[in-house]
Amino acid sequence: MKRLAGLLAAVLILFANPACAMSVVFINPGKFDEIYWLTATRAMEAAAKDLDIHLEVFYAERQHPRVFEFARQIIARPPAERPDYVIFSNDYATGPELLRQFDAAGIKTFLAFSGISEAAERALTGRPRERFRGWLGSLEPRAEDAGYLTAKALIEQGRRTHAQAGDGRLHMLAISGDRSTPASIRRGEGMRRAVAEAVDVVLDQEIFSGWSTDKAAEQSEWLYQRYPDARLIWAGNDLMAFGAMQVWERRGGKPGRDAWFSAVNTSREAMAAIKSGQLTALAGGHFICGAWALVMLYDYDRGRDFAADEGVELNQSMFTLFTPKEADRFLARFGDLRFEQVNFRRFSKVLNPKLKRYDFNFRQLLH
Amino acid sequence: MKKPLFRPIATTLICSVFLWATLCALVIGVIQAAYTYVHVQDEFETAVREIGQTNVPLLSVNIWDIEPEAIRRQIEVVAARQEIGFVRLTVTSGQVFVAGNNDLASRPGRQFEIPPPGRAGGAIGRLEIVENPHAFLSAVLHTVGLALLGYGVLTALICILITYLLKRELERPLRQLARFATELTPDRLTVPLELERGPGHGRDEIDLVVEGFSVLQTGINNHITNLDEQVTQRTAELESALASIRRLSTLDPLTGCFNRRYFNERIQEELERAERYRRTLSVIFCDIDHFKQINDNFGHLAGDRVLQEAAECFRRELRAHIDWVTRYGGEEFVVVLPETSLGAAVATAERLRLALTDCLATTLPDMTVTASFGVTQQQPGETPQSLLQRADSLLYEAKAGGRNRTLPELRGDRPV
Repeated sequence: MKRLAGLLAAVLILFANPACAMSVVFINPGKFDEIYWLTATRAMEAAAKDLDIHLEVFYAERQHPRVFEFARQIIARPPAERPDYVIFSNDYATGPELLRQFDAAGIKTFLAFSGISEAAERALTGRPRERFRGWLGSLEPRAEDAGYLTAKALIEQGRRTHAQAGDGRLHMLAISGDRSTPASIRRGEGMRRAVAEAVDVVLDQEIFSGWSTDKAAEQSEWLYQRYPDARLIWAGNDLMAFGAMQVWERRGGKPGRDAWFSAVNTSREAMAAIKSGQLTALAGGHFICGAWALVMLYDYDRGRDFAADEGVELNQSMFTLFTPKEADRFLARFGDLRFEQVNFRRFSKVLNPKLKRYDFNFRQLLH
Repeated sequence: MKKPLFRPIATTLICSVFLWATLCALVIGVIQAAYTYVHVQDEFETAVREIGQTNVPLLSVNIWDIEPEAIRRQIEVVAARQEIGFVRLTVTSGQVFVAGNNDLASRPGRQFEIPPPGRAGGAIGRLEIVENPHAFLSAVLHTVGLALLGYGVLTALICILITYLLKRELERPLRQLARFATELTPDRLTVPLELERGPGHGRDEIDLVVEGFSVLQTGINNHITNLDEQVTQRTAELESALASIRRLSTLDPLTGCFNRRYFNERIQEELERAERYRRTLSVIFCDIDHFKQINDNFGHLAGDRVLQEAAECFRRELRAHIDWVTRYGGEEFVVVLPETSLGAAVATAERLRLALTDCLATTLPDMTVTASFGVTQQQPGETPQSLLQRADSLLYEAKAGGRNRTLPELRGDRPV
């Protein structure tokens, strides 16, 4: 409630100066209190403030039909009140339809976090600025990095601690998010690439826990019974890793001592787990994608189109693997989800004419 | 003897048909029930097997992917099937999912081993499905009930149809027949039997009965007509016999003259009539002379012949329908002459005497027959006996006077 009040205040302040401010709507597929999407929103708000952008955020609360409702509301506004740009994520394959609707209404769009990757979706959308002229482009964190980095760190830890089973091999279990979200699929691909590179590692099974702690806990119970030799547990996000860890503890194990877990995301709890050693590997920082999208749109709005030197569909490395030290630093700087100390104006090509290429890796914000 | 209770033939038939139809329906129903029981049992077994087999692959995937919620939902869906009472899924790793009616948990169920998806060998779980006995029973009852209802309705319809047809085709015509037969009297014998029957039926047994009635009526009618003719004939015969008897009782068989019995009846009437109308009546008493000698000399046949010829001769000489001759004794004749005075009677007697001798001379030439006559007239208030007495007396006198003569009665000592 407090946050909502703050958001409304910021919106009002920005409204006070509508003539010169560029306006952006972000349709957030997540829940208002979901840590990842909240962090992403906070970072976007900080960037918007730095860049003098009027930002409005809608939360779909993970009920994806609501994004179409928001789209209708936005399109129904009088032209003067319509946003200049709408940023949204292609979660649950809602992207093509949103692109179509906004383009028909003459509102410019930008895909962030999840872009178009499936062939079926590509057939509907084509490439940016072709079929839908108002679709300016997309920016995705290279999700495969998250899977690859964490799995590799996990395997190394397993080797170090000699967690091999009787057959002399490291047995790994994977808890993925879902089967359809591209980010989930890519993370899994990265994880499997790391496993494929390591000849002494067996991926016993990959399951899908829908990003949920409870479901991961319930399913890992079965997994542990089914694969008593497995010691490496890879998770697609932090919440599912926590679920698996809880069950491991309940069964009398000690995460980080007799089994090793990896996770993705930069929640306070995940950072704490890295520091305590319960989590072996943690990748994150891709929440910053929304803020980078605002930087790109800012430059575009000021006449510096990213299409020329970056391309229209960007798949950028954003993930960083957190060491306990970096976790400390992250908590110190962004633990309260405040990103004001980051000067996003630094990353704009318009404001920094010397800048030739965007660098969107999160690591730079930790140093 | 007491008459047995009236029971319409249609009612008897309908009762029999109904009884047998119901019995047959029951027997068929029982057979159907047995068949249905076996059939439904088969169906249930097939259904359970199919449900099990179709659910195993998805369950296998869900168990492998560890989707407890999906497993729970799937088990619920299976248990919600009407045929299924209880479902238990035991995962090899220890988890147990149950759905349905827990009261049936102890019953033996059909077991399905769940293999891991896309892998050969081993089992990751076991599915146990228990049939729903209530659904089984209700399926049996439903099918049997429906069949029995069908048979019942069919039986009822058939009975109603038979009732209707029996009433129309049998009971009504038979009642008409019975009424016709009851009201059949001699005067109505020629009225033909006509039944009111609906159109569109051929010649049947009832028509045969009607035809039989027609034949019977014709026969009886002919017989009655024949009887009338016979009675007429017999009556005529009887009358003729009676006339013959009457003739025999009044005539003398030998001569054909009236006999003495007839004479006694008639003379009385003749005398009374003559007296009443004041008419004259005369009587001639005749006796053949020496008749005993004729009999002795020429035989009795000749004697009879003489008598016959004499009678014939008299009838010829007298007035027909007025004068009449009676054979009074052996060779004695009495001639009654109504409307005749003594004089005319004497003349008649003389004529008779001459004619007799002539006639017999012709027919019997070898003998001479003569006769003697006594003639008298009725006197007022005279009885027949008296009249005859006088005539006889005169005859006796004529005999005594030499025979072959006529002796009239003398009035005042002189012949009239």
